[in-house]
Amino acid sequence: MNEILLYRGCTTPVRLPAYEAATIAVLEKLGVKVRDMKDVTCCGAQYVESISQIAFAAMSGRILAMAEKEGLDILAICGACSGSLKINKHLLDHNEEARGQVNDILAEEGLKYTGKVRVRHLLQVLAEDIGFSEVERAIVKPYEGIKIAAHYGCHVTRPFEIVQVDDPENPTIIDQLAEIAGAESVDYAGKTRCCGGPMLAMDEKIATKIGQEKIKNVEVAGADVILTACEFCDLQLTQVQFDEAMSSTRRIPVMPITQFLGPALGIDEDRLGLGLNRIDPSPVLDALQGGSA
Amino acid sequence: MGESVHTPTSSFAEELAAIPGGEAVNKCIQCGICTASCAVARYSDEYRPRQLIQKILLGEREEVLKSELPWLCMTCRLCEERCQEGVSPAEVFHAVRILAAREGHVPLAFRQVMAALMRDGWILGDSYTDFEEEDREDLGLETDLGWNNEFLHRLKQYLPLEEDE
Repeated sequence: MNEILLYRGCTTPVRLPAYEAATIAVLEKLGVKVRDMKDVTCCGAQYVESISQIAFAAMSGRILAMAEKEGLDILAICGACSGSLKINKHLLDHNEEARGQVNDILAEEGLKYTGKVRVRHLLQVLAEDIGFSEVERAIVKPYEGIKIAAHYGCHVTRPFEIVQVDDPENPTIIDQLAEIAGAESVDYAGKTRCCGGPMLAMDEKIATKIGQEKIKNVEVAGADVILTACEFCDLQLTQVQFDEAMSSTRRIPVMPITQFLGPALGIDEDRLGLGLNRIDPSPVLDALQGGSA
Repeated sequence: MGESVHTPTSSFAEELAAIPGGEAVNKCIQCGICTASCAVARYSDEYRPRQLIQKILLGEREEVLKSELPWLCMTCRLCEERCQEGVSPAEVFHAVRILAAREGHVPLAFRQVMAALMRDGWILGDSYTDFEEEDREDLGLETDLGWNNEFLHRLKQYLPLEEDE
């Protein structure tokens, strides 16, 4: 793979642009060129998904059909986006009636879904398309003496039958990548549980408690940093640490996996947006051999 | 003993079974592994996925469709990964939501996001200000996000939304 189309989604470009920048920088360092997608809509996760199956399928179908025109696979870095695109691709590939209906809608714009391109979540690109050994070869400044807790994101790894990422009950891609970069990964209670993010719209209090339970479990395990692969999870696990109920505890830095890998790959700090992180990641960067990036 | 096995089902369960994703509801054996796995159930006083499925099986149509409970599922699918009977509460509750939406029962939070989506083609149009644009510029990222705000209008006939939204 040498080129891929980035479907940014709604949230990353506004709330966590550092994740987008770090991902582009890391993939380019590893030989994958990232091209932007324009003229697309939101993937419709949660909202359209809840009220109309055909509209939800058409939204993903259009994004996929546009990628087909470019002849490139889609890179999704958000759990919700990768989940939506994969669930709808699965539907369109297996249900002729749905595909026909969506293609009738797309025909008005001269687009057609045929199922030619794949949807790749970032973790698949790193672990399968690039491969652990290539990542390992590119590490120039490994971490030393730092413990990471991996949080995978529900929609990244489930439902496994459709998304085909890692192992839904015991995911290890983030852990393996971090260890390649010199860190030690720690296990913690409730590793595959949700961050609480999808509950924010309906009940912020419950959402916050779910996220805080995760933080407490990570802290008990002695991790120095939480690594993520979805901006919703990253933002949620960060913001619950600013809630009053946690005001007296030490905040644990939260970083997207690519932002964590970046300095170890010798990428400039400026390109990784480390200065934008709400929880100062300096203790993490100090663990880089030879000092911070 | 000796009596026939009680298999609860209802016309409501059959109605949901006709919506793709809802068909598995009749396979539920009410073991409760979904509630035991559920992060929301842990912190909510009311949300219990097993109980909600039981209400469907018993045919409590109006109560379920008018309730906000089916909208509390985070679709994290941890219960689905563990259910040995092949039931996905996330899919079942999506089917409930679709039916509820057809009858005009969509929670305010969902209606608000849908309004933004219909207007802008994405959900954070209101939050993308000069401030965020500057951050993107500093990071060397594209500042013109180029969202399509027309396609959603072609889908209007499939989206049961109030006109004033």
